[in-house]
Amino acid sequence: MRGRALLLAGLVLLVAADALLPRVLNPYYLTILSRIGVAVLAAVSLQLVNGFTGQFSIGHAGFMAVGAYVSAAASVYLGADGLAALSGSLPASLARALYFPLPLVAGGAAAALAGLLVGIPALRLRGDYLAIATLGFGEIIRIAILNVDLVGGARGFSLAAPLHPEVDLRYESLGAIYAVVALSVAVIARLVYSTGGLAFRAVREDETAAESVGIATTRVKVEAFVVSSFFAGVAGALFAHSEGYVHTNSFSFLRSFEIVVFVVLGGLGSLSGAILAAAVLTAAPEVLRGLGEWRMILYSLLLIAAMLVRPQGILGPRELVPGFLRGRPGGPRAPA
Amino acid sequence: MPLLEVEGLTVRFGGLTAVSKLDFAVERGALVALIGPNGAGKTTAFNVITGVYAPSDGSLRFDGREIGGERPHRICAAGVARTFQNIRLFRSLSVLENVRAALVGDRRSGLGDVLRGPAWRRRERDRDERARDLLAKLGLERFAEARADSLPYGEQRRLEIARALASGPRLLLLDEPAAGMNPSEKDALCGLVGRLRDEFDLSIVLIDHDVAFVMDLCERVTVLDHGEKIAEGPPEAVRRDPKVIEAYLGTDDEEEP
Repeated sequence: MRGRALLLAGLVLLVAADALLPRVLNPYYLTILSRIGVAVLAAVSLQLVNGFTGQFSIGHAGFMAVGAYVSAAASVYLGADGLAALSGSLPASLARALYFPLPLVAGGAAAALAGLLVGIPALRLRGDYLAIATLGFGEIIRIAILNVDLVGGARGFSLAAPLHPEVDLRYESLGAIYAVVALSVAVIARLVYSTGGLAFRAVREDETAAESVGIATTRVKVEAFVVSSFFAGVAGALFAHSEGYVHTNSFSFLRSFEIVVFVVLGGLGSLSGAILAAAVLTAAPEVLRGLGEWRMILYSLLLIAAMLVRPQGILGPRELVPGFLRGRPGGPRAPA
Repeated sequence: MPLLEVEGLTVRFGGLTAVSKLDFAVERGALVALIGPNGAGKTTAFNVITGVYAPSDGSLRFDGREIGGERPHRICAAGVARTFQNIRLFRSLSVLENVRAALVGDRRSGLGDVLRGPAWRRRERDRDERARDLLAKLGLERFAEARADSLPYGEQRRLEIARALASGPRLLLLDEPAAGMNPSEKDALCGLVGRLRDEFDLSIVLIDHDVAFVMDLCERVTVLDHGEKIAEGPPEAVRRDPKVIEAYLGTDDEEEP
């Protein structure tokens, strides 16, 4: 019951925000808000691998790039036709709302496939080696895309269909973006905070012991990696469709590091920590914009200070509202 | 047919032969010990039986099926569970979560966990009850919500046994369960191991250095030294075996060349 009430309240909030925010905020703030949504999803999906399964992946932007480009290409080369046809028979806004989930799923699926292909060999490596392998993958993806002319190569790729100039493939609705983010976070939270999800944390804690109690550790790691890649791909697809333009520069290894920072600063093993860190750190450079060239210096100092004060991250492995994300009690408490 | 049959088991690490042509069998319902001085190959034997290492040679049959070289989680699913000499708990998880993780093993359903229908909730409740039940049987129920690594040492050893039992084994391998315990704790452990065997219908193999502890508890003893079996039989006979005495105490001419 409490869950349904919360769900209803969330929906009302989303619809209200969707209707009101564009009237009261200028597009600059709206863009920041939608980028926060993308950052939150990227951070939470990486948390599944790095924080819960204990594998250190630092190529997450690569999977976002796959999701962004595949969904953008699908929209431009396939979706535009469908959307034009759909808009003929349905009201335009309904047609767009019905269409919007498709490129997200396509982007997510493509990224999940990439995650499977990378994960199977890479997850045999541990620690530093896995980090370097995933970093390498992220760069390979970026440079490969840079050389594909079909998606604009170095010019970047605009979500405009040459054959259907009347169709708008962008989707900037904050309500829709945050609904996707919330749904994805809920899926990951339920996956992690259940008896089955204990397998992820058991692998993080001790692989030998996990195997000895019947957990197929390699499969668990690949599963975490594939699910994580799927949601990174969805985040990339959200990014592509809300911005209306993608460029490989958005998916450089700096972006990957940024997501790792969200996860570590938020606290390894904490979904709410990752959400908080992603939101604050995406907003921070904008808030600090008034400082001119000192901006990034202060941003870096803030990061260093945060890690000195709380090396375990803002929330450590805990959640902000244990009952909400976990769904049930049963996590460890302070020593008895 | 014995539950576990080890035949000609050999494990080599490069030039070192850790276990050499070991033969032994564990009958159903038996409580047997594997003893020997440090470095005799006892833990290596456990590691091979549970799939941590693949045997270099020889065969391992569990319930008539060859399991040598299979992955540890498959061997666990077949019905072999173990504890570790240097306790390996899921340290930052709660005591209850340690047991629940083992209850599920590889029978997971990601989709079920996401959708959480009535059947899922029922199963989740069952698992919770079974986990608490196991904790109660090992006297750990009051620690259920505590972090595993916050438990006192003896309780951590019992939690490892609870976790091993949660995977539903028919054969339980205990690697030095009495290590670091004082005599009264050892007595309590003796009682516990016997009780668990009867209650869970188990066969148990345990490793120890402490000859007296093993003698009180086990029906049969296998003695290893330098990777080879040097004696086997009922505790009393093994204790008097000159080879065993030599392995543990050395001989005179070894000390005076």
